[in-house]
Amino acid sequence: MQVPEIVDDALDPADKAWAAVPSEKVPLVPVPIEEQPNEYIRTAWRTRPYGRVGDVDVAAVQRGERLLVRLEWDDSDEPNTEFLDGAGVFFPDAGDSGAPLTIGSHSAPVRLWAWRDRTPMQEALPAARELVASGPGAFRAAGLDAGDGENEGARPDAVSALSGGRWAVVIAGDLARAAAAGRMGVVVWDGSNDERAGIGAVSPNWVPLTVK
Amino acid sequence: MSQDIAGTAVAGQVAMVFDLNKCMGCQTCSIACKVLWTREEGEEHQWWMTVNTQPGQGTPKDWEDMGGGRKKDGSPVTGHQPTRAEFGGGWEFNYDEVFYGGKGRSVHLKPTDKGDGTTRWGMNWDEDQGAGEYPNAYYFYLPRLCNHCTHPVCASACPTGAMYKRPQDGAVLRDEDLCQGSRFCMEACPYKKIYFNEARNVAQHCIMCFPRLEEGVAPACARQCPGRLTFVGMLSDPEGPIHKLVNEWEVALPLHPEYGTTPNVFYVPPLAPYRLNEDMSIDYETPRIPPEYLESLFGPKVHSALATMQGELDRVRAGGTSEILDTLIVYNWLDLFGPFTTDPATLDRTPDKVAVSLTAKRTEPAGG
Repeated sequence: MQVPEIVDDALDPADKAWAAVPSEKVPLVPVPIEEQPNEYIRTAWRTRPYGRVGDVDVAAVQRGERLLVRLEWDDSDEPNTEFLDGAGVFFPDAGDSGAPLTIGSHSAPVRLWAWRDRTPMQEALPAARELVASGPGAFRAAGLDAGDGENEGARPDAVSALSGGRWAVVIAGDLARAAAAGRMGVVVWDGSNDERAGIGAVSPNWVPLTVK
Repeated sequence: MSQDIAGTAVAGQVAMVFDLNKCMGCQTCSIACKVLWTREEGEEHQWWMTVNTQPGQGTPKDWEDMGGGRKKDGSPVTGHQPTRAEFGGGWEFNYDEVFYGGKGRSVHLKPTDKGDGTTRWGMNWDEDQGAGEYPNAYYFYLPRLCNHCTHPVCASACPTGAMYKRPQDGAVLRDEDLCQGSRFCMEACPYKKIYFNEARNVAQHCIMCFPRLEEGVAPACARQCPGRLTFVGMLSDPEGPIHKLVNEWEVALPLHPEYGTTPNVFYVPPLAPYRLNEDMSIDYETPRIPPEYLESLFGPKVHSALATMQGELDRVRAGGTSEILDTLIVYNWLDLFGPFTTDPATLDRTPDKVAVSLTAKRTEPAGG
């Protein structure tokens, strides 16, 4: 995927700058049940369908030191009062050759920029967070461990809009990390189906990124 | 990949015993906990300590039908995550309308219905309804908090390792820095004593007042109980009342042992007056609280526990003595608290000291 440069900020998914950026339809599959992190989750979801978002339109631009990724997907389900929709993009360390299906592993964690819709009571929470992902749902906030390299200025941000049964979300984060990875994975959680943690839909293959 | 979080070996297990024969449902324990721990935004509906009337639907509503727990082979039983409506409570009231809107004589103070069902249930909604028919109606009170289980299925279900069993005393805690709000713990817990803090996107539950324990102070619910019915101590202390009540005399039992998590909160089951016959004579053969109902709560051992208690009562009434009853009477208030008898008013409560004592940060690696 080409990542063209833009001049003005385009964090708003409705920004006209996105009209000129080619998007790619990325197929998604359920995160494998066998890879879920504990027996409870595997038992609870083994016979229950999840990963209901089948594909997502992905586009990306770079602006200064930021990478902006625009995700758009169908979501016509009635919202769930307990769990909210979410999405994220994640990046392996340079050189890691694992597949994105598990959203990282203990031996090869990935950086996940995670957006989740918010309730009115959650407006004080950040729109997006950088997480260290070591497997499906095995997420922890970046910066908790010494040396894991959280960069205050590079914290991800996001703007989202739900319109006509489609979510459009732009997630922005540190371009250098994305450029070093050279590829990214995509994950989407359908909140109306109680999807969260490792229960979601993920890109089975890395999306290559060509960053100038 | 398998990363199941096994129960941690603990140096000792902090435990509690509630004598249900003495609980009068005053909710002082509930308030003591509420005032101390759950006063911030997102915690309005949280009552880590609750007292409900039994038989009843409880808190959250119909929690005993929500699943969770552990089979005999150790495998998990899937459960339902209680909703805000099922917990209820945390209401906002129409104070402005009644007090300042000129309608003080025409509008009653009432919870504001937001259409989410939260005004149709609450922490002690079915108080004193009980069961049975006059003159043989019956009820009793059941205080409940996190059981700090030996097999905490909540921790086993957590995908991030935020929940853990503290090695030094077996308290089940949550490192909120690690919690991502996925709430599998709420599903897995069969006692449904875990709440979701929407404002902070973390789950929360009773922390056994661990900052108080570390200072030798009993948990607030126990220390504030005016009925002298709440024992706290280490389960393995052979000289302590909890060990004696649970292991030696076997009159204190876990709630719903069939849930398989091995709780560390125990209950002395309630004896009750005998039933009355239609002519108002006493039916000495039939207890007013059906034994099968108590068995449904405390398991089959409830019958021998009640028999032991009744035997002790009979002996004392005949002029004898009973160490069990003397223990449960609690002549000396501090005898309730095992090693946790320090008066909190004597502690250094400077801000730095308080900040240090309030961390539940997990120190050993998650997943270990």
